[in-house]
Amino acid sequence: MITVVKPGLETSIQDYPGRLGYWNQGFPPSGPMDSWSFRMANVLVGNAPGAAGLECQMLGPTLRFDRDMVIAVCGADMRPTLDGEPLPMWQSVPVKAGQELVMGAARVGARAYLAVAGGFANDERLGSRSTFHKAGVGGIDGHAIKAGQSLPVAEARGTPGLMVPPEARPAIRTDKVWDIEVCAGPNDDWIDAAGQERFLTADWRVSSKSDRTGFRLEGPEWTFAEKAYNKPPEHGSLPANIIDHGYPLGAINLAGQTPIILVNDGPSMGGFINPYTVPSAAFWKLGQTKPGEILHFRLVSVEQAQEMAAKLTRLCVRETLISA
Amino acid sequence: MIYEQPRFLPGGDRYILIEFGNEMNLDLNFMAQGLASAVAEAGISGIIETAPCFASLLVHYEPERISYHDVVRELSGLVGALGPSDDIKLPSRLFYFPTLYLDPWCAECVADYRARIADKVPDPELIVQENGLKDVNQFVQLHSSSEFWVASLGFWPGLPFLMPLDPRARFTAPKYNPPRTNTPQGAIGLGGAANSIYPVATPGGYQIFARTPVPIWDQSGVNPAFEGDLCLFRPGDRIRFIPVTREDYDAVAEQVAAGTYTYNVVEYQTFVVADYKRWLTKLNGKAKVQ
Repeated sequence: MITVVKPGLETSIQDYPGRLGYWNQGFPPSGPMDSWSFRMANVLVGNAPGAAGLECQMLGPTLRFDRDMVIAVCGADMRPTLDGEPLPMWQSVPVKAGQELVMGAARVGARAYLAVAGGFANDERLGSRSTFHKAGVGGIDGHAIKAGQSLPVAEARGTPGLMVPPEARPAIRTDKVWDIEVCAGPNDDWIDAAGQERFLTADWRVSSKSDRTGFRLEGPEWTFAEKAYNKPPEHGSLPANIIDHGYPLGAINLAGQTPIILVNDGPSMGGFINPYTVPSAAFWKLGQTKPGEILHFRLVSVEQAQEMAAKLTRLCVRETLISA
Repeated sequence: MIYEQPRFLPGGDRYILIEFGNEMNLDLNFMAQGLASAVAEAGISGIIETAPCFASLLVHYEPERISYHDVVRELSGLVGALGPSDDIKLPSRLFYFPTLYLDPWCAECVADYRARIADKVPDPELIVQENGLKDVNQFVQLHSSSEFWVASLGFWPGLPFLMPLDPRARFTAPKYNPPRTNTPQGAIGLGGAANSIYPVATPGGYQIFARTPVPIWDQSGVNPAFEGDLCLFRPGDRIRFIPVTREDYDAVAEQVAAGTYTYNVVEYQTFVVADYKRWLTKLNGKAKVQ
């Protein structure tokens, strides 16, 4: 067991790839936003890459370990300490019963991940332990962790002293500017050539109204192709309206003039076009982006995006690790 | 229009959207659900799930196990084998929902919106105006006489998008602008051409005119009517709204609260598109499903 002393800003149990198979009932997959760091943390402690761990957002929690175990912290730098001593990140570390892990505000990046050997052992809901906060499903009582809660952990020994080599870690940007890969479609043909050019060259600022549901972007006005105006009335009155359709995870959903990247807890369908889609291999970057930072989008093909994802999956394995 | 060949549109590295047409037309939804059911039956390795919507089907696949081009090839094959929508048969449960039309909770919610946010014609009256009906009684009579088809679920988990199967209950209404900040749980509404039931109290934009005390969302996951799911409906289910009095409504609400309410559902039926169209033809002398 791990006792929650302070919960942090919104810390929740997630697993990877999350709650799949319920999109047709409107359930998003949830799961960690930066699945690169998340999987590495699990692999470090000897878990399957997708085992349930903690996602700590912006401000990390304070946790007390109720028995000896092996842990790893990856992702954003929240200056973790163990009983006041700095805890090395990207390493598997043994902790003793009674010790306290304190994580602070994210200095670099936005989301840190804590894995424990054995993984969190909360009940599965619809095949996943991931927390879907909005509908109160999964995790502990459906929501972010709260002070005083006991988080169940499965028994496992784990191997301390392992490390993710620096070249196998995500390069979290410190200059507040990110290059994000996007694939064209499904509705890129609703945007005119000038609008497409503008999307790929503009600075897009991540709004403070961004969360695990969607990342709202601030930037230039969109312009549309003929198709967006000349359409049957049941599509709706705005150029960005379309007959309600399913939303891919990662879709850049154009709500009128405001693009919203639909992320892990996002809606499954709706009546706005999705001109572009952020592929899964670029999600870790969104997970480490703070409000106010700038996104630049770079077009990749579906095949390139799939190769990027495969490369990440090949990387997040035991063989990548070295001795600390 | 209905496209001669469905359009396959990529959505990042693991989704494909298949568009069957670009209008609100039950036929297109039958095709989307028919394909969803064919995909499930075919058990194609690497296809994780599908989600039908009004005129399209979203397919989620695992590129580690199947390439984009192979998904398109497999799905094209299934679309070809599916044939015209008339051949589609879908298992379809029929749910009966005790419904208090023109209920006080929706009325209060609308009055509150009119007082605080923006004055507007009250929702039931607006529907009457927009659709050239005589009065709200005629609306209630027509609305409660049709079966409603679960075309899709989404936006919120378990929220159904419903299309009337009886063309006489086909109404349209504008959505709220700005949206309401709250809607009673169980409220029934109309926005555009779609009807819905609000699974929980949420913000909303549909014109609301009735309420059912029977839950369609069960966070506890223990209600046997939900068969292990957290939400009641699946695409292809049908719903009838049965008008009840306030006394009946309260009695059902009490049973729900006590855990003794039994859902009224018929489970043995198959929805045959060809039979449905035959009935439509009889009804209005036209073969085309609008």
